[in-house]
Amino acid sequence: MDFTWNEEQRAFRDKLVAFLDKTLPEDWEEFSKHGPASPALTAYAAQFCREIAGEGMLFPHWPKEHGGEGLSPWHQQILAEVMWEVGEPRGGQYMNVNWIGPTLMAYGTEAQKAKYLPQIARGEMLWCQGFSEPNSGSDLASLRTRAELVDGQYRINGQKIWTSYAGLADTCFLLTRTSDDRKKGITILLVPMDTPGITVRQIPSLIGEGDIHEVFFDDVMVPLSARFGEEGQAWEIISYSLKNERLGIPRYQLARAALDRAVNTLKTRSRFQREAVRIEAARCAALTEAARIACYAIVQKRVDGLAVGPEASSARFAVVQAERAVCEFVAEFLPEALAGGSAFLQMHHQRGIVAGIASGAAEIQLNIIASDVLELPREPR
Amino acid sequence: MDLSINEDQTQVLDAIDGLTRPYASVPVHDVAFALTSDELDAEIAMSGFYDVLAIEELGAVTAAMVVEKLGRLPFALEAGASSLVRPLVDAELPRPWCLVEEGNLDAPVRFLKPGATVLVVGASGVRSFTATAEHVRDAGDEVLFAYPMAYLAGLPDGMTSHDVPVATVLAAWRTAAAAEAAGLLAGALASVVTYVSERKQFGRPLATFQALRHRLAEAQVLVNGVYWLALKAAGTGDAGDAAMALLHAQDAAKRVNYDFHQMLGAMGMTLEHPLHLWTYRLKALSAELGGRGEQGLAAAAALWG
Repeated sequence: MDFTWNEEQRAFRDKLVAFLDKTLPEDWEEFSKHGPASPALTAYAAQFCREIAGEGMLFPHWPKEHGGEGLSPWHQQILAEVMWEVGEPRGGQYMNVNWIGPTLMAYGTEAQKAKYLPQIARGEMLWCQGFSEPNSGSDLASLRTRAELVDGQYRINGQKIWTSYAGLADTCFLLTRTSDDRKKGITILLVPMDTPGITVRQIPSLIGEGDIHEVFFDDVMVPLSARFGEEGQAWEIISYSLKNERLGIPRYQLARAALDRAVNTLKTRSRFQREAVRIEAARCAALTEAARIACYAIVQKRVDGLAVGPEASSARFAVVQAERAVCEFVAEFLPEALAGGSAFLQMHHQRGIVAGIASGAAEIQLNIIASDVLELPREPR
Repeated sequence: MDLSINEDQTQVLDAIDGLTRPYASVPVHDVAFALTSDELDAEIAMSGFYDVLAIEELGAVTAAMVVEKLGRLPFALEAGASSLVRPLVDAELPRPWCLVEEGNLDAPVRFLKPGATVLVVGASGVRSFTATAEHVRDAGDEVLFAYPMAYLAGLPDGMTSHDVPVATVLAAWRTAAAAEAAGLLAGALASVVTYVSERKQFGRPLATFQALRHRLAEAQVLVNGVYWLALKAAGTGDAGDAAMALLHAQDAAKRVNYDFHQMLGAMGMTLEHPLHLWTYRLKALSAELGGRGEQGLAAAAALWG
């Protein structure tokens, strides 16, 4: 085993960091306080993604046939870490790079690939994920937004909620119900967000302005060509997507950067000599590093070409614990940072609350660990 | 970065599995606080599994894997100090090895008995002596830990000084304790998982109740974290990594210890169920090197000065 980056991996990281140094505006930290899906950050992300795409670093882990460099999952992880530790200047486009693009490659029609992949590759597309509904959160398969075939078109009626990026997205990766079969009755439609009948309402949030939304579909008509995969194939496809995105965002990286920043600030204010502070800081560092290495163990599986199984849920839960610990450390020992004293720590704190809630609640991760890692007998239904 | 277990390591771990299979469960009538086996210890020593650190293609990470693996057994073995500290000091000195803090000579010492090597670490450097009866004070039947333990009756006038930095030994000590704790945590977790999967109340296995499932799942996350941090500390030899590994291990021990017994209900109070053979060793390890606070201070010093 080797727990350090090799020379080539270090060079890749250095190149990305140098690119950020050169590209990010001087007031980036202040600017990054805008919510990830705010108009300001979305506009900046579009410009940033075009620039990083121009350098060939938007999706270096994609296969060469789709314009990537075919680099390893380690490079994908390094890329994600470097971006996330400064507050994700790619905004919502990280989703395109990590899972929407690869899922299009695997399941898209030739026409869909030709339409979307080049736009994603140029850093010009913003997607939103039409998954959760008012009565279908963790129980996603109970979703009810209906799509009916009418005269060769799908007519969509229903509601999505807590949808990130919906306010400014071009296209929605939408889960709809086309039959009553719980999982096999779900179908994906790729819906332009400017289609008549779609109404988006912003939900005020702790994460920042413009981040989560309700989306209403009233007799929204899309052509048959908007269907992604077959009718009823959605569950299979999103399970595939999850394999690309099972680990989620490398939040441990920003959590550790926030911890280091908080410690340095405490040092300059002569408050880091207190033993209670030092011990708690160390505990946070141990949690971030435990989360990091649990994630790396999963990346290693992908590097080795092995299937990533339920152990990814364990890594994700470790990330949640690390994220919360660092947020609480800052609130307890450096409260001024969360009251106008540090743009960077404020940005981290606002995003931290998402860790255990978005993309599969922490309780769902625990369910998966209990059933599939520990192999406990299942709960009665 | 490479976190794959290689073929050599797989072979070592498989061989240990084979050798320890007869010792994987507790003898039916054995209801002692601590379970030991000189035969098992001798077999492992003879097969060279305490000496893998010095073998070039195996090294410290494999040694930590061995310590972790042996920690899963219900039998208490002096594996940590022998596998990860002894090779850095003097592999010729006899086993078992007992690690002692110079500033904390009053604590009970794991595996201390006449003939053991006692390594005293602290301000005066790294020194050792071979214990004789006069250095050992029996702790009698009072010991509530699942290790054989005794007190140091005193230090000899002359000890052998070793030319090894204290910091190096402390990092190896922390790594060894963390690796052992990882195995103990895994052994305890497996033992609880088996019990709650079989024991039925209200007509179904206890493990089907979410009140237990989520706590066990959280424990799994902690155990996995301790395992990886211990291996990383072995791999890097870094003082900060070692302190974080033991800090996380001692934190995890505190989090799960009573919870595991709680999940067993009344069975968790008995000596008939072997759970205490892991958890009451974890209690002893939670005092290692001053406990969580001291590990936190050591980690903070290494990380941030």
